[in-house]
Amino acid sequence: MLFNSIEFLLFLPTVFVLYWFLFKKNVRIQNIFLILASYLFYGWWDWRFLVLIFLSTVVDFLVGQKIYEHINDKQKARRWLWVSMAFNIGMLGFFKYSNFFVDSFIDLFLALGYEIKSTWTLRVILPVGISFYTFQTMSYSFDIYYKKLAPTKNFIAFTAFVSFFPQLVAGPIERASNLLSQISNNRIFRYQQATEGMKLILWGLFKKIVIADSIAPIVDDIFANYSTYPASTLILGVSLFSFQVYGDFSGYSDIAIGTAKLFGIELKSNFKFPNFSRNVAEYWQRWHVSLSTWFRHYLYIPMGGSRVSKAKSVRNIIVIFLVSGFWHGANWTFIFWGALHALFYIPVFLMGRNRMYAHNVVGEKTGLPTPFEILQVLLTFGLVTFSRIFFRSPTLSDSFSYINTIITDFRYEPYVHPMGYRMLDFYVLLGLFVFYEYLIRKDDRNPFKFKSRAIRFIIYGLVILFMLLFYDDGVDRSFIYFQF
Amino acid sequence: MKKFLFKVPIYILGLLLFLEVMVRIFHLYTEDPPRYIDDLLVEKRVPGHQGYAVTGNRNQNFSKFNINGDGFNSHIEFHPTDTSYEIAIIGDSFIEGFHQDYDKSIGVKIEALMDTVQVYQFGYAGYDLANQMHLINAYEDKFEDIDRIIIYLNYQSDLGRGTYEPNYGRIKMLSSPIFKIRDNIKLLSYGSKIGILEPVKKLFSSKGFKNNSNLDEDIVNLDEQYLANFQSLVSLYGFDKTKTSILLDSRTTSTMFLEYCRKNQIDIIDFAEIFTKSEKPVTLIYDWHWNNHGRELIAKRITEHLQ
Repeated sequence: MLFNSIEFLLFLPTVFVLYWFLFKKNVRIQNIFLILASYLFYGWWDWRFLVLIFLSTVVDFLVGQKIYEHINDKQKARRWLWVSMAFNIGMLGFFKYSNFFVDSFIDLFLALGYEIKSTWTLRVILPVGISFYTFQTMSYSFDIYYKKLAPTKNFIAFTAFVSFFPQLVAGPIERASNLLSQISNNRIFRYQQATEGMKLILWGLFKKIVIADSIAPIVDDIFANYSTYPASTLILGVSLFSFQVYGDFSGYSDIAIGTAKLFGIELKSNFKFPNFSRNVAEYWQRWHVSLSTWFRHYLYIPMGGSRVSKAKSVRNIIVIFLVSGFWHGANWTFIFWGALHALFYIPVFLMGRNRMYAHNVVGEKTGLPTPFEILQVLLTFGLVTFSRIFFRSPTLSDSFSYINTIITDFRYEPYVHPMGYRMLDFYVLLGLFVFYEYLIRKDDRNPFKFKSRAIRFIIYGLVILFMLLFYDDGVDRSFIYFQF
Repeated sequence: MKKFLFKVPIYILGLLLFLEVMVRIFHLYTEDPPRYIDDLLVEKRVPGHQGYAVTGNRNQNFSKFNINGDGFNSHIEFHPTDTSYEIAIIGDSFIEGFHQDYDKSIGVKIEALMDTVQVYQFGYAGYDLANQMHLINAYEDKFEDIDRIIIYLNYQSDLGRGTYEPNYGRIKMLSSPIFKIRDNIKLLSYGSKIGILEPVKKLFSSKGFKNNSNLDEDIVNLDEQYLANFQSLVSLYGFDKTKTSILLDSRTTSTMFLEYCRKNQIDIIDFAEIFTKSEKPVTLIYDWHWNNHGRELIAKRITEHLQ
């Protein structure tokens, strides 16, 4: 079920009413209802893959207890941790990466002059959200292993934690210490929290419908026909893709966080205005925060993090970015994308500027950004956008051809929208969007933070009006990160 | 919770009101002048309406219409005489021309190219050949004084039936309370136009699947059926070959039909070539109707043919 679908429009109020009115008195029954609602939400897409979620739930629930039983016997605890990793990564490997490995193996032999006719390539459907919920369940086992958490004995609460529908298919990837504790305890309806949730849902829908979906046909056209366009159009295409993917994914996260608030649950922030980052390190503190945090806690720090020699730290950074790239998809383009980000990040790290902007935003004291900050933001946006050529292209060879065309056909030509729409509308829209995001950049949880109720009301109205003005009936409304 | 449940509907209502005002201020909705079936069973617009037809979410195409005394979108009233030269063009929405200002229609363009000519456009969205033939027959007196008749035939959609029956169902549907509400609440009218209500409609309607295995055979059968319908309409209403022409696009018309017209000396005005050669687009960017350039080419093609 998509957040931006009519089914969800009916599903959400129904679940909300039943959750607070019918099942409020008993947290256990409320959680059972939450599980049923979540399984319905997921099963709407394909009910067969509910088995995978359930298996992942059972395995990590049992493994968590086993790890805890042997918590003082490092070797045995680790063995049980490996069971969780083997199961979850094995499942990911089969559904997401098996064809990639077979194809890469064939390509390797082809490059060496041997042709292999494979019968191993499988027709596997990628279950939606598998990368997200497997990481979430693994984090539970890790946290127990690292003694940050005691395992729960409440299987129902744990199942609700794994399958909680607002964040099941595309995050934010939650840690048990945050989400499970909330699910295990009584929830109280708070007016303030619910209205904040509604506002986040509205803002998320705006980013998805107005920004991401309206730009999508332009990006699709440019990337599909890149060899026929000059540099100006190709630069436009990848720049718009930056906005598209941001609108799409951060929009999803906002709706997820907002929906969770309606059920009295607080999820972690996932996006903190990454387009205003002043260097690549700050960008990664603001973009897909739940995944970056996951990798930092469960990969980077166990490898030594930055508390080892510079050379080893650099190695750790490279590993984390390569793995992060591979997490996104079974394609060399994503691995290359990750490598490129490692390349951008390492100089910042070596200069000791990687934590420099962790606790402040652009124009923190001055209101308006300084000319130097504008340059920094533009440079960071440029680097990140450049890397997205690899993220968006179907193959590495397409990515390089795309870049090659930018260099060799370096000229300007006005771009005509594939449907003939006036491009000025989109430029004005993006200009307004960037300006508005700048205004609200200090608080990602409150996109309508204006004192005047009248101004707030007018902005709500305008946000919905823009959704109508840029609504496109023909566009594919699914979320980009569902494929990961 | 009470406060929340109380305030949410109030906010929703307030926002809907705000949007209704915005849609009206920026005229985002389209106007559809009322339709009716007259005493001679011809379906047309109620005379004397003026307004604006809008295409696209953001007013991308905004055009003025003027329904004349005969119930058709036109810059002139239809009063043919023996002494003047009149051309009638009959057709569907392409001829009705709600996607253009009524004073920039094909008729106006033909009048500019041919001196001392009046062009009457009997256009109505949804007309097929049965409607058109019935109209000529019903307004016999008027058409006796009209010197040339041009029937615009969209081959793929206009030959679906071999007899005429007024579409009472459509008129009834459009005058039903639901449609009246839709037309009066401009936000609803706008939402319906941009397709935002489609998911709701889809949710409550099931989709059927058609097996395409006999597609070629179906097309041949369809061509035969279309030809039979054409023959049926001609035998019912007659076809004055001395002053009637069919305006069509041979690229989308079956060779069987074209061959039949050639054998029976039915005059064809084919605009396929002039459209193919055009370096500029001939249709609007927001829908499939002819744009100003397309209409100019059609007017040019008709003028060349008649001269």
